[in-house]
Amino acid sequence: MSVLAEGYNAFETKKTPSGTVKYLPDPKAVLALISSGKLKEHILLVQGGTTTFLTPALSMGAIGVITLSGAPESHLGILSREFQMPCIMTAYLPETETRYVTGGDNDAHFKAMISALDGKSVKLDCTDQEIGRVVTAE
Amino acid sequence: MTVLKQMANYTKRYEQDDNGLRFQDLVYQGNFRGMDPVPDGILGDKVMRQRAKSKVLEKVSRADVLTEQFTIDELNDLNNYLAWNIWDVLVMRATEGVSGMIPRQEYEILAFMHEFYRWPEILQMTTDEVGAEKIIEIGASARREIGTKVNCVHDWCIGAVGFGMGRCGLLALEVIKPQDYIEESNTILKFMQRVLWGKRQDGYILNSQDRYRCQIHEPEILDQLTSQLEQVEDGTEPHENLVRFNAAAELLAFLDHYDCRLGLGDTGPYPRPDGKVLIVRDLFTNEDAYHWSDVCDHENVPYCYTVVLEIDVEKMGLEEIRVNDISTTFTRPKNYIPYITAGAVFVREKWDTPMGEVYPLKISELGERLGGIQQATLKLYSKTARMSRRQLITNGMYIYYIDMILPHLRLAGTYEKACTDLNFWEIDHRVSDYYYDITKRGFAQATVPQKIFSGEGYLPFPDGASTKRSKYFWD
Repeated sequence: MSVLAEGYNAFETKKTPSGTVKYLPDPKAVLALISSGKLKEHILLVQGGTTTFLTPALSMGAIGVITLSGAPESHLGILSREFQMPCIMTAYLPETETRYVTGGDNDAHFKAMISALDGKSVKLDCTDQEIGRVVTAE
Repeated sequence: MTVLKQMANYTKRYEQDDNGLRFQDLVYQGNFRGMDPVPDGILGDKVMRQRAKSKVLEKVSRADVLTEQFTIDELNDLNNYLAWNIWDVLVMRATEGVSGMIPRQEYEILAFMHEFYRWPEILQMTTDEVGAEKIIEIGASARREIGTKVNCVHDWCIGAVGFGMGRCGLLALEVIKPQDYIEESNTILKFMQRVLWGKRQDGYILNSQDRYRCQIHEPEILDQLTSQLEQVEDGTEPHENLVRFNAAAELLAFLDHYDCRLGLGDTGPYPRPDGKVLIVRDLFTNEDAYHWSDVCDHENVPYCYTVVLEIDVEKMGLEEIRVNDISTTFTRPKNYIPYITAGAVFVREKWDTPMGEVYPLKISELGERLGGIQQATLKLYSKTARMSRRQLITNGMYIYYIDMILPHLRLAGTYEKACTDLNFWEIDHRVSDYYYDITKRGFAQATVPQKIFSGEGYLPFPDGASTKRSKYFWD
């Protein structure tokens, strides 16, 4: 079991959801995932830390989320706490130097993160107060 | 490393010498170049008040609040304090980037500027119509009601957003100068001060001045709320039902208000006799001022669900709790949900439903209500996903510009007059033009957020400037 990515832990929880990472680029992809009936097979990967984008997924019981920006104080961080859905925010790859920069040009960083995580079988470890970890599923 | 749970010591935060915890590593500089940077939380509040030139950030009297005019020092102290407070509550949230659905940064910036231009006339008209004492009374009404948008976030927004961020945005766009619109700034800030002072009644105006407490409800109201509490235990179905309902209603409140904080309002923490604490949370799930709320009507979703949560702070090992000035509760440890030991839910069908007609729901009844919330949520998402960028920005701009003062105008009885006589629902020509400017050179995505969250953009009013100065020269 190795750590693929780390980020802010939205809230502490013993829940350790696992599934295949699915990147959701737009609202159509969110609605298509809901329609497929496979929502709970996936850990969702999204670019923003806002909450409206993922609204139907949260409402229908998403099991875990990884974001590429945002913090526990962001709206998605607050809602993930209320839903008790583990959420790792502003994820980065520990072995690389690139990090999200607020207001910066993050395109290359986002592409690298999506490439590294999308389709991977992972588990979320959110037991630590501050750091959430995306680990390879056993 | 997992942190072991410790004994609750959150009440230490209320001791005079205590400086509170740090919730973030970042620090604030603002207009205090050459001085030590300012941290977040209780210590940050102390430093900001020590640096004030006037007494406006200390406890003030009714007579002070009724005075018509701030001095330049008072205006600058409020400007600096609000700038720090904005940073304190929003700098980490602001890392969240683009929404992927609603262009929030764009609508926010347009709204800030629109508010600064248009609110002074509307707020002055309201004060002229009902008098300054009535503005204080509007604030005080929040002490006796639940399901009211006269709450922390709306009251704070009058000054922090309409004045602070609005002036900051216009300065960044270089269409105003620091000496412009001083009289109009005074009008906005006086309205804010009167409402907030009336609500708190302890001399302060902001929760951050009181170690992040907003214990405003009168004992009779709290007695009514606690009389309906039902015990719930983590891991049981009633606990699960309460938590799911709270989360789903909060989600719809966010969506109905275009991903902004105006849809929710926490007060507290209210200590219970047995040492537990209460949080009282209004979730505004159907604002009838918005045409897109028709989907909420169709699912019989009320104006507001109020969720009362009792938290076992000892079991949680609570170290600090902040009910901040945008009506949101944050704790250390962060996760308070498993420690909810009792809850109650109340319904206010419309914004003007009398308090005597607000009714409680049993936790066993929440499942049926949840279905309506989920249906409205899905319909609203589907509807929103079909809107053009222009529609989304316009709608979002209206949420800020209208909703932030709508509750005060409604209670003052001046909302209709604002609509008919002062074109409240029109968009100012200048702000319409700015729509095309804000996406250029990263203005909405980078320039204004940087000015707002570094504190660099809140330029002080010049010493010696006339408090009656407006804007007379456009270059």
